[in-house]
Order: sequence, then C-alpha cells, then structure tokens
Amino acid sequence: MPNSFAWGRSYIIIGVATNPMAQTPFTNDIRTLRFLAGEMTQGDLGDKVGVTRQTIAAIEQGRYSPSLEVAFRIAHVFGKPLEAVFQWTANAG
Amino acid sequence: MSFREKIHWIALVGLLSAFGWYFLSYPWEIANSPKGMYTAVWMLLPVTIIFLVPMVAGAAFFAIRSPKDADLKEDEREKGIHLRGTYLAYYPLVIGVQLNIFVLINGFNYGYAVTILIATLVVAELIRVGSQLYYYRRGY
Repeated sequence: MPNSFAWGRSYIIIGVATNPMAQTPFTNDIRTLRFLAGEMTQGDLGDKVGVTRQTIAAIEQGRYSPSLEVAFRIAHVFGKPLEAVFQWTANAG
Repeated sequence: MSFREKIHWIALVGLLSAFGWYFLSYPWEIANSPKGMYTAVWMLLPVTIIFLVPMVAGAAFFAIRSPKDADLKEDEREKGIHLRGTYLAYYPLVIGVQLNIFVLINGFNYGYAVTILIATLVVAELIRVGSQLYYYRRGY
C-alpha cells in the first residue's frame, strides 16, 4: 500500500513506497506483522522496541534504516527471524 | 509530529523573530563606535526574552498536552538527526569566526564585531535547527 511523504516525490518498489531522497535498500513487512499481531499500533511497537512512534513510521515507510539492534528487536517482538521482517531488494542500493 | 520536532519548530520561529527584530532594529550608523557595541550587547536582553518565552511556554504547553512524549528519551534516529544537524552547523560557525577576524583586522570593531559574532551564532543555529527539522520530516 503506497504511503505519502511530506518531502519529495514518492514512488513504489515491490509494494513499499519509497522516497528518492531517502531510499532504503530493503523493504519490510512491519505493517502487515503489526496487523497480524492484534492490530498493534506504531506507538505500541515503538514502546516495545524502545524507539518513538515516528521512528517506527519512518522505518515502515522505508525512510529510515534502523540499526541492527533495533531491527532484531522488531523481529523479536513479532517472534520472527530478521529476514521475515526485512527483505533486501537486489536492485536497490 | 514528535515532541522534539515541535520544540524545534518553536525554536526556529523564535530565532527568526528575535534575531530578525535585532538585525532590523540595530542602529547600524553607530556600529563602529563603543556606543554601538554597548547597544548591541543591551539589545541581547530583549532578544533573549523574545526567544526564551515562547520556547518555555511552548515546551510547557506540549509537555502538559502529551507528557508521555515529553518524557521519551532520544532514540537512535533522533540522536542521528541531532548529530547531523550539529555537524552541518559547524561550518558556518568556522566561516563566521574567520569573517570576524577579517573585519577586526580591517578596522571594523565594536558593534560590527559583536553583531557579526551574533550573526554567526544565528546562522549556525538556523542551519542546525533547520536541517534537523528537514531530517525529522524526511525520516533521517
């Protein structure tokens, strides 16, 4: 599902909206996993991971690359391996 | 919008209002005299009030409205934004100090020296706050 951005033109790569100004070389399934985890909010996930709601939103929309620690924490919250949450896109980066 | 981003917006508006008033009201005709220097220093009093009052009031308002957000510690993304903004602000600071040395050597003293130092700080702060706001909006 495409997301909207305050800055720059948005376009879609493999289902995740990205911004040409701040494009991460991977996609993620956080939004789906949150939905499957009882419609967990970004704020709830942020509280569990130890980051702000805005940071979760930025990660989810592909505007921010989290540290390895935060990526693992997110995966841990959903009880999934890292690659089930984040997927490297071969043609990006 | 996070608590810190809101505070940054208030700081940006405060900086523009306070120092906008300063630079537009400063009596440039007496700048190169001791009186010009004292005027510049005294004008910093209302500037500080114009800048600090909305900052304190805004911070208190947003902290009361959303205390949970205000209590949150900086996360890794916010720390990164903080560092990037500070890094970008370093360059105008260096250029401003060099400019100040140049004008002092060339006989512009007193009010000019103080005002250029203030302008250096203001430009550096505007770049810091402005770039941090840009990164907050962009994601990083």
